[in-house]
Amino acid sequence: MIAAIIIEDYAGRKDETRVCTQEMAPEHWACVDVLGRPVIGRLVDGLKRGGIDAVFVFADGKCSPDSKSESDSNSINVWVAAGSKLDECGDSYDSVLIADCGTYTEFDVAQMLAFHRDQGRSVTQAFAADGPVDLWIIDPVRFRERDDIRGALTSGPAPYEQGGYVNRLRGPRDFRQLVSDSFNSRCRLRPCGVEVRPSVWMGENAEIGRGARIVAPAFIGQKAKIGDDCLITRGTDVERNSQVDFGTAAENSSILSNTYLGIGLDLSHSIVDGKYLWNLRHDVTLEITDPAVMRPNAVSTESRKWSEFENDAVGLSA
Amino acid sequence: MLFSIHFFEGEEHMQTSGPVVVMQVPEILNVKEVHNFMHELGPLLESNRPRIVLDCSLVCSMESAGVEMLLRCLEEVLKRDGDLKLAALSREAEVILELMRVARVFETFETCEEAVRSFNAIPADAVPQDAPWYANVFNELGVLKQAS
Repeated sequence: MIAAIIIEDYAGRKDETRVCTQEMAPEHWACVDVLGRPVIGRLVDGLKRGGIDAVFVFADGKCSPDSKSESDSNSINVWVAAGSKLDECGDSYDSVLIADCGTYTEFDVAQMLAFHRDQGRSVTQAFAADGPVDLWIIDPVRFRERDDIRGALTSGPAPYEQGGYVNRLRGPRDFRQLVSDSFNSRCRLRPCGVEVRPSVWMGENAEIGRGARIVAPAFIGQKAKIGDDCLITRGTDVERNSQVDFGTAAENSSILSNTYLGIGLDLSHSIVDGKYLWNLRHDVTLEITDPAVMRPNAVSTESRKWSEFENDAVGLSA
Repeated sequence: MLFSIHFFEGEEHMQTSGPVVVMQVPEILNVKEVHNFMHELGPLLESNRPRIVLDCSLVCSMESAGVEMLLRCLEEVLKRDGDLKLAALSREAEVILELMRVARVFETFETCEEAVRSFNAIPADAVPQDAPWYANVFNELGVLKQAS
């Protein structure tokens, strides 16, 4: 029997270098819809498909709307909660896979598990070409450390060289890279929707206006609306519940969920989330205060992001 | 809000109109700031052949009202046979102008000095256009032929 513990520890990673202004970035790129489903949700799906018997998700307050604590203390809390769960797992599961889902990684669970058993060590950690990945397999009975789990996980594990695709999701540039890699089949992440034309995917109830052109590769998410005479081109994804208004052109950009993009705009090499815009070509972050240009749609993004995957996991949060 | 205005005198022979005026655009160009800014800029627009450089180095936020104001100013100066140029665009301003599809409408320069100098460049219509560049060469050939 194998269990998985997924940890979304934003606070633990907040010192990492980001491309654009950190304060404005979504706290969790792993919780943001990418081609119809967040990375954390995709990880849960992947683990279930890979034969994991139970999946437990622990997320800090920035990800879960239920938590009221500050993110710093949550950073400790998620690991403490994971430790308690590990205690429980000792009786029921032979091995536990622990993943900090801030990184998008593709790996073979069975292969990693076989490696772990061959090595006979209590901890195995995945390594990519550019360094360690926050992905471990442990034997809960032999793994005694509970006070500083993170420290124990990183001290002397058996290194498992995983050759799969890795994207560290450190900021908007990595996020766009993931979208682009998916469109170009450089990774296994597939858009959630129907491929209505070669490399053009559409989610349920997406609407395309008259005279609008969707040039492949492109993704139009669930309930997204593309206005009349719009142009969506060169690897642009319009995520769920977003609206692109009349005549606007979007090129090589991501329009994140619940975002309204105004009339007659020209968006390129950017990520838009509500009123925030990251332009990757000029390497600049903007807060657009003019609601006629861009604004969040009515649906709350926080609760939507969390609810996306919480029902899928067997266990839940710190 | 005070807006800094600098006057740059053109070269003597190019002095066909008033000096080039350089004006600092405020950091945030929303409806309120646009109103204040236009209060300062308005009289300059009404001069004969106004030559204006807007220094956009401080701009970090611009609403659609700001973009509309820039377009209105350009329209006014062009009506009076003048010109309006943008200088030292911040990355933020550049992104907003691109987003609103007006980046190509304006002539832009890296620095205010470059923008000012561009007003004093010899305009294309000041160069005689009736004879081709090689006309002199053929004249000289004709003289040579006659001499031989």
